[in-house]
Amino acid sequence: MTKKKNGWGKKQRAVIVGGVRTPFVKAFGQFLKLDSIDLADAAVKALLDRTEIPHEDIDSIVWGGVIFPSLAPNIAREVALDLRLPPGVEGMTCTRACATGLQAVTLAAAAIERGEADVIIAGGSDSTSSAPLNLPQKAVHALAPLAFGKAASPSDYLQVLAQMMPITDILPKMPKIAERTTGQVMGESAEEMARRNEITREAQDHFAARSHHRAAAAISSGRFDDEITSVEASDGAVYTDNIVRGDTSFEKLSKLRPVFASDGTVTAGNASPLTDGAAAVLVMSETKARALGYKPLAAIRSWAYVGVDPADQLLIGPALAMPKALDRAGMQLKDASFVDMHEAFAAQVLSVTKALASKGFAEGRLGKSKAVGEVDEDTFNIHGGSISIGHPFAATGARMVTTMANELARTGQETALLGICAAGGLGAAAVLEAVA
Amino acid sequence: MSDLLLENEQARRIIKTLGLPIPVPERLARTKSPYEERPLEDKRVLVGGRGELQDVLAQTLTKAGANPWVVGETDSVLKPYLAPGEAWARPPTRVAPGDAPEGERIDAIVFDGSGLQSPDDLRELYDVIHPWIRRLNRSGRVVVVGRPASDAKKAGRAATRAGMEGFTRSVAKEIGGNGSTANSVFVEEGAEGRLGPVLRFLLSPRSAFVSCQPFHVGKLAKGEDAPETQPLEGKVALVTGAARGIGEATAELMAAEGAHVVCLDRPADDGPCSEVARRIGGSALLVDITDEDAPGRIAGELREKFGGVDIVVHNAGVTRDKTLARMAPEAWEMAVDINLGAVVRITDRLLSDDLLRPGGRVICLSSVSGIAGNRGQTNYSASKAGIVGFVEALAPQLAKRGITVNAIAPGFIETRLTSAMPVAIREAARRLCAVAQGGKPEDVGQTITFLATPGAVGLTGQTVRVCGGALVGA
Repeated sequence: MTKKKNGWGKKQRAVIVGGVRTPFVKAFGQFLKLDSIDLADAAVKALLDRTEIPHEDIDSIVWGGVIFPSLAPNIAREVALDLRLPPGVEGMTCTRACATGLQAVTLAAAAIERGEADVIIAGGSDSTSSAPLNLPQKAVHALAPLAFGKAASPSDYLQVLAQMMPITDILPKMPKIAERTTGQVMGESAEEMARRNEITREAQDHFAARSHHRAAAAISSGRFDDEITSVEASDGAVYTDNIVRGDTSFEKLSKLRPVFASDGTVTAGNASPLTDGAAAVLVMSETKARALGYKPLAAIRSWAYVGVDPADQLLIGPALAMPKALDRAGMQLKDASFVDMHEAFAAQVLSVTKALASKGFAEGRLGKSKAVGEVDEDTFNIHGGSISIGHPFAATGARMVTTMANELARTGQETALLGICAAGGLGAAAVLEAVA
Repeated sequence: MSDLLLENEQARRIIKTLGLPIPVPERLARTKSPYEERPLEDKRVLVGGRGELQDVLAQTLTKAGANPWVVGETDSVLKPYLAPGEAWARPPTRVAPGDAPEGERIDAIVFDGSGLQSPDDLRELYDVIHPWIRRLNRSGRVVVVGRPASDAKKAGRAATRAGMEGFTRSVAKEIGGNGSTANSVFVEEGAEGRLGPVLRFLLSPRSAFVSCQPFHVGKLAKGEDAPETQPLEGKVALVTGAARGIGEATAELMAAEGAHVVCLDRPADDGPCSEVARRIGGSALLVDITDEDAPGRIAGELREKFGGVDIVVHNAGVTRDKTLARMAPEAWEMAVDINLGAVVRITDRLLSDDLLRPGGRVICLSSVSGIAGNRGQTNYSASKAGIVGFVEALAPQLAKRGITVNAIAPGFIETRLTSAMPVAIREAARRLCAVAQGGKPEDVGQTITFLATPGAVGLTGQTVRVCGGALVGA
């Protein structure tokens, strides 16, 4: 095969050169007026500025979204156009529920490893505040004659009106995070997992408190400064995450009422909140990065995506994906210097770590004779997670990649294991490794 | 004609309100969906007894989605349930013997009697089941598992094992009014791994009309593979008499599990038979099975189009009822030839042409009234009892190739055949079983389909009754 620029078919190693995110902000708050594309623009622009990557070297943007701006769903291309990148910087947008951000990064890595590209901006953004309220099909169909100018006489209009009854049938439905196949709201799935895996309210609240304390410590120590850019919003600039509560405690969290079942254990305090935000990662081939004079933060060693029955344990996926990614990386859980897991719910995280530590789970579900292993508290979600930092669906994966790549570069440690659960019974995992 | 007591809501309400001394039968829970990964999703199953089958029970129940409640004095009884409980997130709960906490109900009871040694030990059946029997939900299940009496070296132990069967049959009669069933399963040593699929079937709504029956799970036939969903994928099934009734229901159910079904019926039934074949994506084969060249034509068709066959369901059958004194020779000929003669000839031909593939299944329709004997049915009974002898003899011959051969004996099933009965007799016949109602063609179809699955490899040479626990012909 002939080698040319971006040599197609050439084997190359994909590395993380940098990552930047917007502050993560509670939905319907400071970012109310910014949609998913605006947030993406902010994150990518900051990434371009901070890394000073020559724009003509960028091959493409791979962006992720979960709730799409209905008139321009290919966010990646809109970002390239908004930021006036050269027209040749092409763009595609992907979706994989809460694993979307990681999906964008691994798509970029795959394209680079395949020799399809050398420089890709990957990431994701979501604005829960801008979730479009869809009219029910019944209203859309009834209104079609008006929209397309087919209605002429007053009786035509009356006929349209007549079809709109009863009024409740045509009111826009509130969007909710429910499984299409089972109708179960995600919090109910978390409740079920807590019950099935015998995860107590106490354990969940302890975990949530720890998440907040660690994230608060990271923020106050300036650990996130390199990773966060300020964003101009309508009421002025936003500089920092606003969900983290360093002053919360187990006692405070344990006073909250369960949300999804009266005798339940999942509360607003031990679940990830609806969040607006964006995160962008610069992924390059190692050769190109070195040629441009960058010192890569980390390389992507392996990844894995799995599916489980959403009617069973919706969010247990990482317990299957993480061992798979470890196998592919040729390592074991105990070899991982850091473990970073998306915190959809404390109940879900603790269900996954319980499964990883279980010999029965390894035997029954993974075909292994030994448990995957205990996750060590000291190296697990060291700077907090989605419960404290927030969870703009498509941005979380890119946030985790950025934080862990920086952590490897700063500490000189070897590897980081990432795990993410996602709607539809999906699970995702990846292993990052240090670059010499 | 439809069953008034079962289907007419007003009649049911009137009888219940007035307190009339007419037992209103319970509507049986059934399922329309194909085989699920977790047929016992969130069912609470009480497990008691002791023995060597606990590991299989633990694996099967948790993987099928059930929440096990284990009866025992100490937490040591939970041991077999811990690992699978973690794998499938169905942690076990322990309940003390004799204690049924207020307000708690259960969906099924499974008793492991494989450890019972002497008649005294039978008391454990009482101790485990007595406190809970009234707490069994509607369409509940009781399954007693153990070792076959015939394998016991000591007579006392054989007596103990046989006792469990009698116990279960009586329980079945007591809980039938609740729409619940009770069955026993006797597992040969070395065949433990084959118990799982049988349990999944018996604890699920697929066995709605199977009650009072003993099952023998053995290791005679070869075969290990037991897919839980789409168990008939890639299989070719021949179903005779597929135009209507039990044959139609069977063809539909088998197609839903992934089989390609060859629907066979008489040329005169071209319309309905082709309709069924089209609906289920199978093919139609119009042959009169009593024709001399029928076996050859069927064999030829299966060879040319499919290169063989995996499942053969001999369902086509007729009644020509008359007392022996008044029976014309044609009536005798017809019933015996269609119900038995053709079955033997077609099976022989498929075997001699080597068309029945390894791991195959032969399922023949017998009948409860055939086995028990019935006035006016000497011809029918001869043919249907003949089927029992046929499968018993053929099963060991084909076991090495992984082929199982079984008979199904339906009780009162709501079909064209039974709707032609005189009203009074029909009404009596319906009520003469534990669940006090007739079965549906799909009930028989479900059992046939189960026997056709790879997971049913432990069952061969048996006659399985689908009779709702009929009083006759036990």
